[in-house]
Amino acid sequence: MKRDRQLLVLFLPCLVFYIIFRYGPLFGLTIAFKDYNVFEGIFGSKWVGFKHFANFFSSSDFLLLFKNTLALGFLTLLFGFPIPILLAISLNELRVKWLKKSIQTLTYLPAFLSIVIICSMVMDFLSPSTGLINKLMVALGFEKIYFMIMPEWFRTIYVASDIWATAGYDAIIYLAAVAGISPTLYEAAKVDGCSRWKSLWNITLPSLMPTILIMFILKTGKMLQIGYEKVLLLYTPTTYEVADVFSTYVYRKGLVESNYSYAAAVGMFEALIAMIMLLSANFISKKAGGKGLW
Amino acid sequence: MVGESKFNLFGVINALLLICVGIITVYPIIYIFSISISDTASVVQGKITLFPRGINFDAYLEVLKDKRIPRAYLNTIFYTSFGTFINLLITAIAAYPLSRPNFIWRKYWMLGIVLTMFLNPGIIPNYLVVQGLGLTDSVWALVIPNAIWTMELIILKSFYEGMSDQVREAALIDGASEYRILFNIVIPLSKPALASIALFYFMGHWNSYFLPMIYLNDSTLYPLQVVLRDMLIFDDGNRSSLVEAAALAPQAKKNATIILSMIPVLMIYPFAQKYFASGVMIGAEKG
Repeated sequence: MKRDRQLLVLFLPCLVFYIIFRYGPLFGLTIAFKDYNVFEGIFGSKWVGFKHFANFFSSSDFLLLFKNTLALGFLTLLFGFPIPILLAISLNELRVKWLKKSIQTLTYLPAFLSIVIICSMVMDFLSPSTGLINKLMVALGFEKIYFMIMPEWFRTIYVASDIWATAGYDAIIYLAAVAGISPTLYEAAKVDGCSRWKSLWNITLPSLMPTILIMFILKTGKMLQIGYEKVLLLYTPTTYEVADVFSTYVYRKGLVESNYSYAAAVGMFEALIAMIMLLSANFISKKAGGKGLW
Repeated sequence: MVGESKFNLFGVINALLLICVGIITVYPIIYIFSISISDTASVVQGKITLFPRGINFDAYLEVLKDKRIPRAYLNTIFYTSFGTFINLLITAIAAYPLSRPNFIWRKYWMLGIVLTMFLNPGIIPNYLVVQGLGLTDSVWALVIPNAIWTMELIILKSFYEGMSDQVREAALIDGASEYRILFNIVIPLSKPALASIALFYFMGHWNSYFLPMIYLNDSTLYPLQVVLRDMLIFDDGNRSSLVEAAALAPQAKKNATIILSMIPVLMIYPFAQKYFASGVMIGAEKG
């Protein structure tokens, strides 16, 4: 039909885009099973089966990366997940309108800053010579700490700066959910003699539960997809042992050392695990009686 | 009475805590700004903790003299405006057929599109595709491979679906083509939704450093974030901590650069609240 043809014309750029840039790379993943050679291209390179996967799994890097990725992802989830919820709830409890509005506006300002700026601020504040934190510690009689080059500090720095940067932004969703709770529920509770604390516990939290569950599934699914752009900026060779995650390793092996096939195999493994995690989180949530994503 | 006083205590503690959170959030930004407009002596002696001392704008003049930064700034403006324009154009057009219930194979197109959100092949295959198409070292490498963000496409598609059909049907009876309906009716009526996704695209382009870093080799093409990364993170005493004196003086200059890079973002920030929030919300609902 003419209408269909017109719609198809409009859809064409989108179709081409998805085929080339979203499905094309999936096809390009075949190089994980080949010895990719720039001169022979994706088609010409020789098949080698699971060689790169086998190499990766048997290398000492594998366990280290697995541990680091899991640790960073888990810590980010453990500390980063509840904070936006707490922030939204306590913002909601704040009855001074202008204060509520200004604090909300302030807390999501960092979401607008680039990762480069955030990381440079982190380094600036933690610098042993000029950083405020070290100055404060010296003033209080402690020793200077060379935060950025000490492996034992990396995870704390990563997680804390992540919370600083994203908590306000993540709180938006919960704030909207809280705003959607019918005021009559609170009025009824008040009549029944519920204190603010009690109605928070009996009304606000249960009403937020579906949103919290959905966000939890999403975050769990993305747990392994650590903000590698941030890790790349924050880590140093001395902190690789705790900071190196799958995606930074893929970047170094693939794009820096031009070891394309090996890096593609590692990337594929990571994507696979991430998908399995998302599917299982969704499955568990459904089994638990909650809503799933699909 | 007892309940009443408890309630007050709760409210006060809550307010105080939130004020602390607010201070912690903005403090670093104010500090950076104060350093950038303070005189060198105060900065070197570490006298700045919050407010600037000996206010001057030398650091900003110095930044403008350093050839790298103004050029990078212009590059970023170009990449961001051109990129956002392409994003908006393609997304606005693509969302339309997908929003029509009678569009042929619509279910399958949508399935194919949504699936890509879960199938993430990683950076290497993406890089090979972009390189294979000969896009590297040009603005196209930053624009075309991310011309559509799936989430933004879905947001716009659901917005189109929620629009009233009356005007569209009137146009249909008048014999308007789908192109006319899209460009003369649907797009003009979608300004709030377009503004919301434009904001996401804008922020994405303005703040991106990783893609420019891997796709651009020619340093004259670098956007601001890549130059910032080189300046702030890779070439100073921050890491070695031994070059103390040398690292101190440019502190003001570095911070001035950071502030300059934030200006456009801070300018759209007041408007952002409205549009960003609604975009995040639709995004979350669609999950």
